[in-house]
Amino acid sequence: MARLVLQRLAATVPVLLLVTAGVFALLHLTPGDPIDAMMAESADATAKASLRAELGLDRPLHVQYVAWMGRLLRGDLGHSIRNGEPVLENVSRRIRPSLQLALLAMAISLLVAFPVGIASAVRRNTSVDRVGTTFALFGICMPNFLLALLLIFLFGVTLRWLPISGYVDPAEELVDGLRSLALPAVTLGLALAAVVTRTLRSSMLEALTEDYVRTARAKGLSEWRVVRGHVLRNALIPVVTVLGLQLGTLIGGAVITEYVFALPGIGRLVVDGVFARDYPLVQGVVLLIAVGFIASNLVVDLLYGLIDPRIRHR
Amino acid sequence: MASSTLASATADRRWEVLRRAAGARLAPFGAAVLLVAVITALAAPLVAPHDPLRQNLGNALARPGRAHLLGTDNVGRDVMSRVIWGTRVSLLAGFLSVAIAALAGSLLGVVAGYAGGRVDGLVMRLMDAVLSFPPLVLALALGAVLGAGLTGVLIALGVVYTPTFARLMRGQVLAVKARDYVDAARALGAPGWRIAWHYVMPNAATPIVVQASLSVAFAILAEASLSFLGLGIQPPEASWGSMINAGRGYLQQAPWIVFGPGAALFITVVGLNFVGDAVRDALDPRARD
Repeated sequence: MARLVLQRLAATVPVLLLVTAGVFALLHLTPGDPIDAMMAESADATAKASLRAELGLDRPLHVQYVAWMGRLLRGDLGHSIRNGEPVLENVSRRIRPSLQLALLAMAISLLVAFPVGIASAVRRNTSVDRVGTTFALFGICMPNFLLALLLIFLFGVTLRWLPISGYVDPAEELVDGLRSLALPAVTLGLALAAVVTRTLRSSMLEALTEDYVRTARAKGLSEWRVVRGHVLRNALIPVVTVLGLQLGTLIGGAVITEYVFALPGIGRLVVDGVFARDYPLVQGVVLLIAVGFIASNLVVDLLYGLIDPRIRHR
Repeated sequence: MASSTLASATADRRWEVLRRAAGARLAPFGAAVLLVAVITALAAPLVAPHDPLRQNLGNALARPGRAHLLGTDNVGRDVMSRVIWGTRVSLLAGFLSVAIAALAGSLLGVVAGYAGGRVDGLVMRLMDAVLSFPPLVLALALGAVLGAGLTGVLIALGVVYTPTFARLMRGQVLAVKARDYVDAARALGAPGWRIAWHYVMPNAATPIVVQASLSVAFAILAEASLSFLGLGIQPPEASWGSMINAGRGYLQQAPWIVFGPGAALFITVVGLNFVGDAVRDALDPRARD
């Protein structure tokens, strides 16, 4: 297992280096002068020159990159142009709502996907299965922002059950906090649930045809015990992989969801940064998201090795 | 004689592939949706009942009815006409960005697979790096620096989808490179580009087509998401994502501004998914078995 960890970590290093180079290059992809893009045309030349010097844009490219990397290694992700605060401070203020949203969405997705996926597979080709597969198709094809607006229209505007925007921290006000996160979490959770349902259904169908299932049935086990003890356990491995693969979709979905529901999370921070042309902030946050994404994929990879001994010993 | 037998065998296989694709349960629905969308996009100036840009403030937020089948928006523009013109943007963005990704990815995959060694390592690590970004976040960041508009979206989505095609093509090249007929061609002195063009590409084309057909629906969703966030086609031009974003402030008074383009987007994506699945089932030998 230790060897697997080291192997995976070693493989991550060159990718991380290329990711930093890519994020660094972002600023330089701007057509024309990035300083003009970030500051209004009317901004005076002194302010522009000072920002140029601050970002080091007046120096050769390789010198800029080395200096930028040096700052990164010291934990300095740069400063936001808008509020002058360090990027890390901006992120730490916004990370709480994003994490709460992601955790709730994940919980909702699993709560929905498991019963639907299992019922679909066990009752294959019946109306239960058709409802399950239609739900999965619906969730996969429905864009986050449209589902969000449908839910707002139904539960916020028409029934007036839930707030349609704003954020209350559940740690401070549990009920109001959960109410403020309910619609965003359902929006994000249902999309994820659709993918998990589809994967669980197909991996269970595959497991149901295995010899060990026939043996378990021949031993006289009840169908529920066969499903729980033999089918589900083996069908979980692809589900874990898919959950890992869906992390990117979850983060992307969070960007849209936070934007629609005006949640002050990391996703909203990126969108605001993009519109304010606050490139140092966008660079810093995108880099953090990418590193977080790589780290979570690494964890999922290792988790996969933990669940399936065949991977560990390969 | 031999060539005519070969031609007829190829035609038979194509017919078989088409027959299988059409035989998939939901493929006819998907194909019909795609056909309607393509015709609508091409004939938008003819089929749109009104000018999609003409404002009529006296008739703002009008309910769906005979004069305006999907109602009007907050400045009195006909929603139906804007949905019809928006089809152009969606299909163009979906198909073109996937075409860019398929072309760039295939080229990179061929180079990596064929050259091997350091070139292979560099290209594939580069693709891993692109895959390290959540797709929408990368598209958003690229869209931000490239500027709003269709070109920025096409390039951003093209970059996002390139690694999938590069990985696929590289795998195919490695498999085909080991075949005897490639060794034979090399022994006969065929240059590398010729081997790649005549032997590798035709064999690797099938999975690329399958992947492309599955990717278009997601590219359309991604374009709509970027337009929704304000990075795609800029107003007053019509695109489904930007229409939905503009309409969300009027959800209570005029939900049709959101749900007209929303329905068009959803149905198109469902249809394209069915077509993609049918193409995969027809071309993928494993699915066929």
